[in-house]
Amino acid sequence: MRVVIMGCGRVGAGLAQQLFREGHDVTILDTDAFAFQRLLPKFQGRRLHGSGTDDRTLIEAGIENADVFVAVASGDNRNILASQKAKEMYGVKRVVTRVKDPLRAELFERLGLETFSPTKVGIELARDAMMRDGTMRDGTVRGETGAAGEGTR
Amino acid sequence: MYIIVSGGGNVGYGIALELQQLPDYEVTIVELSANRASSLRDEIGEMVVHGDGSEIAFLETVGASRADLVIALTADDGANLVTAQVARHWFKVPRVIARVNDPRNEPLFRKLGVDSIVSASGAVMAQIEATLPEHTLIPLMALESAGLQIVTMRVQEGAEVAGRNLRDLQFPSGVLITIVIGPDGAETPSGDTVLRPGHEIIAVVPKDAEDTLRAMVTAPLPEEDD
Repeated sequence: MRVVIMGCGRVGAGLAQQLFREGHDVTILDTDAFAFQRLLPKFQGRRLHGSGTDDRTLIEAGIENADVFVAVASGDNRNILASQKAKEMYGVKRVVTRVKDPLRAELFERLGLETFSPTKVGIELARDAMMRDGTMRDGTVRGETGAAGEGTR
Repeated sequence: MYIIVSGGGNVGYGIALELQQLPDYEVTIVELSANRASSLRDEIGEMVVHGDGSEIAFLETVGASRADLVIALTADDGANLVTAQVARHWFKVPRVIARVNDPRNEPLFRKLGVDSIVSASGAVMAQIEATLPEHTLIPLMALESAGLQIVTMRVQEGAEVAGRNLRDLQFPSGVLITIVIGPDGAETPSGDTVLRPGHEIIAVVPKDAEDTLRAMVTAPLPEEDD
């Protein structure tokens, strides 16, 4: 699979390395060349210094022949702009977009992007952790035999 | 009429000032920078709000769902594109205008259904072209949904249309010659109106007819010697 990843943060770098290990053709973009130091030396994919919202960079990255475009740069709006461009202007079949704002993630999912919101996932994880062992399930602390919660020691 | 302007830069500020003059217009300017927002507020008052015009939750608080028009004018194309789509699809705002800073983003904005596009570089180009004596056809405004443009043209010496009256001219279909401006001022054209070199024409033109029309008002290029 030919994959273009926008954003070499923790998620971008990690994803790029994993996909490369799995044998995919990976190009990773970042506006800050410094970000590429997150990649281990054994990553042999392509590093490209430039913005994923810029057509010249996208073309240089091979967007016209890419199978997948993944936008995981830091700004929601830039991820959305680049993703809609990849999908609408360059006909990339599979476009995955990180949108931190859950509302925006919902809207652009509805408008045809494949979005995911780490914020939403984080909220769910935090909530699940809070509810573990029956604590706070309905606003009360439960479990007489050592359930986690204030005053139960 | 309630209008939300996202972006309190020079463009947003200028437009908000104009709109404010009109009766029955209510305007909110949304500015992302706290400093800029507070200095704008000192100057033009309560209509300026500090916030992010691409943030759905925030737009809710400034009443986006009752807005008649949203104008996204920041220097950030991503923000403008998102604001435009949020306004249209989340808040069902009937009319949305967005500024495009990078001209390469124009096709995308059009494709995603922004009603009107304000292109800074396009506007500057139009200004430059208008000062050139040989300018021919300049787009003034795009009417996206109808696939039309309003353009201005100046008739050149030796052009196909020069010296002929409108009745005798075969314009591409859909072209509407709306105003003809001669030395005596503007007139509503009739079949008897004669187009003379130097006349300015304002017309509504289907996008695909632009090139044909341009050729009609332009002097033919001199034959080149081999």
